[in-house]
Amino acid sequence: MRRKNRWSACFSAGLMLFTAGIGLAQSKPKVAFVPQIVGIPYFNAMEGGGKDAAEKFGVEFVYTGPTDTNPAEQLRIVNGLIDQGVSAVSLSVLDASSIDPVMKKAKEKGVKIFTSDSDAPKSEREVYVAQALDQDLGYTIIDELAKRIGEQGTIGIVSGEATATNLNTWIGFMQQRAKEKYPKITLLQPQFAGGTAQRAFQLATDLMTAHPDLKGLIAVASTTCPGVAQAIESAGKIGKVIGTGYGSPNTVRAYLKSGAFGFSVLWNPRDLGYLTVWVGKQLIDGKPFAESNTVPGLDQPVKYDAATKVLLLGPPTVFTKENVDQYKF
Amino acid sequence: MNWKQWLFGRRELTLALACVAVAVFFQFLSPYFLTADNLTTILRNSVELLLVSLGITFVLATAGIDIAVGGALGICAIFVGWSVQGGWPLAVVVLIGPLIGTGLGLVSATLIVQGKIPPIIATLGLFGVYRAAIFLLLGGSWISGLPDTLGPVVNTTIAGIPLTAIYILFFYFLGWVVIRWVPLGIAIRATGGNERAARLSGISIGGTKFFVYGFTGLLVGFAAFLYVARYRNVETSTGGLIALDAIVASVLGGTSVLGGKANLLGTMFGVLLVRLLQNGFVLIGVPSLWEQVITGALLIGVLILDAWAERRSPNYTRWLATR
Repeated sequence: MRRKNRWSACFSAGLMLFTAGIGLAQSKPKVAFVPQIVGIPYFNAMEGGGKDAAEKFGVEFVYTGPTDTNPAEQLRIVNGLIDQGVSAVSLSVLDASSIDPVMKKAKEKGVKIFTSDSDAPKSEREVYVAQALDQDLGYTIIDELAKRIGEQGTIGIVSGEATATNLNTWIGFMQQRAKEKYPKITLLQPQFAGGTAQRAFQLATDLMTAHPDLKGLIAVASTTCPGVAQAIESAGKIGKVIGTGYGSPNTVRAYLKSGAFGFSVLWNPRDLGYLTVWVGKQLIDGKPFAESNTVPGLDQPVKYDAATKVLLLGPPTVFTKENVDQYKF
Repeated sequence: MNWKQWLFGRRELTLALACVAVAVFFQFLSPYFLTADNLTTILRNSVELLLVSLGITFVLATAGIDIAVGGALGICAIFVGWSVQGGWPLAVVVLIGPLIGTGLGLVSATLIVQGKIPPIIATLGLFGVYRAAIFLLLGGSWISGLPDTLGPVVNTTIAGIPLTAIYILFFYFLGWVVIRWVPLGIAIRATGGNERAARLSGISIGGTKFFVYGFTGLLVGFAAFLYVARYRNVETSTGGLIALDAIVASVLGGTSVLGGKANLLGTMFGVLLVRLLQNGFVLIGVPSLWEQVITGALLIGVLILDAWAERRSPNYTRWLATR
């Protein structure tokens, strides 16, 4: 025990010197982002955007997070960042119910804390940087599909887990949009594939068999995109059935090129990371958000809703055969 | 032997009839059910499950269980995916899955035989480890958009018979030979029937278990190869809970979870019935969630009937004979 104590004392002394050294070397304010998990393409893309913004706006960007989606570990990391003296810290919340103590601590220490990508709406966060509204995601996919099938026909839906809140919300908005705007489009009951491409393939094939006049297939969970696209390819229905879904460019690139997928809808995580760091800088400088904000480096103005304290990146991005190669996530 | 004994004494026959009944029912509700295309689809979608279930039938016959097959399938699929990506020779691509699968199966067997851990605990633990390993190996991203180099391996037909059907028939024939005509088959059933008695009569229990888990691993590895060949994608959830489907199919087919019994033909029809139900429900427009309810109910019903028959067994045959 004693031996261990001595070592840990040495270690922490060293660590203190080390952090102090960093603190002296860098005088730029630090903006941190804590993802839900490190090492996946989605958050890597956010990190990339964050770095670009840090360079542009003269801050230091700190990116660190848990190696698995463990809420306790995430809070520990946020705590650590606050202790290290970052000026602003943002996180993609894993567990909204356990976040309050760390929010309180941040406020006490004068650290700006806000959420990005995933929110804790009831907490004391300064602001939430949202990627896209659920409504926009649901509407966009129906609008884009309607454009391509001439606003009439039957469309099948293959989702992931039946319990996933976000997926069900999107399906709800799809159904709402179809009902209100496209009376000649019939949306079939959603089928749930769980997590595997195999089951998504099976369901998509069966839907095409059951409805020979099927015009479109929507893969709601990103995990169902490959299965649905493969099914369209295998059934030889490219061009007859238009596949689509919420898939990242890397996931759907091959299917956009083969024609099995007409398009894919998602936001751009690079821009989300970029916006997150810009927001951190604004908060540090004490600048308020206007209803519409122009962010240097982003194409579209960013809307701010003062009542809910939500900043919205903008409408979802539509990926097609033509533009997919510009994106690397 | 009268007709009742003949009919109900043989599970594979009962199941075949159940398949026909289900098919008639679905055909009645959807005109697209009994079409050549759809039936081919059902068979194609059964391939991986048929292979894994064959292994599970062997494992169950020794009174063991293997929950880890889904995770093992995922790991094998990753290596197959990488080998396709790397453009390795076909022989390597074909063999790498079964090789790694067999290795993983032997790991299960080692834990069970040498570590004396109950199979359900050992394989449940391994399942968790494999899931995590899949995440680490893939680094959170998937292997997607693989080139279609393996297409011919799954889509070719020889004299009208799809190549995949030939794989299945080959492995089931192999399984049948083992269980029926080779001393090892007797050892497998004896181990499951009464392990102590089997040991006392000179059967190598450890060797037998190493064989069944290793063989299951081999089949899982080959299933992974076919999975990648067909879906050209390896996602972090590959394999998933295929173990549960395989256990359902085997038990429906007349293999007992208590060991000592294996019914390969029954397993085949069990898989077919599960897939028929999954397909039919989508075709008649019922949300696929209901199919799980039906499969579950079917399984419980069959087990209750089994238990009932067992309880009556001394008099059961006599009872049947008097009818």
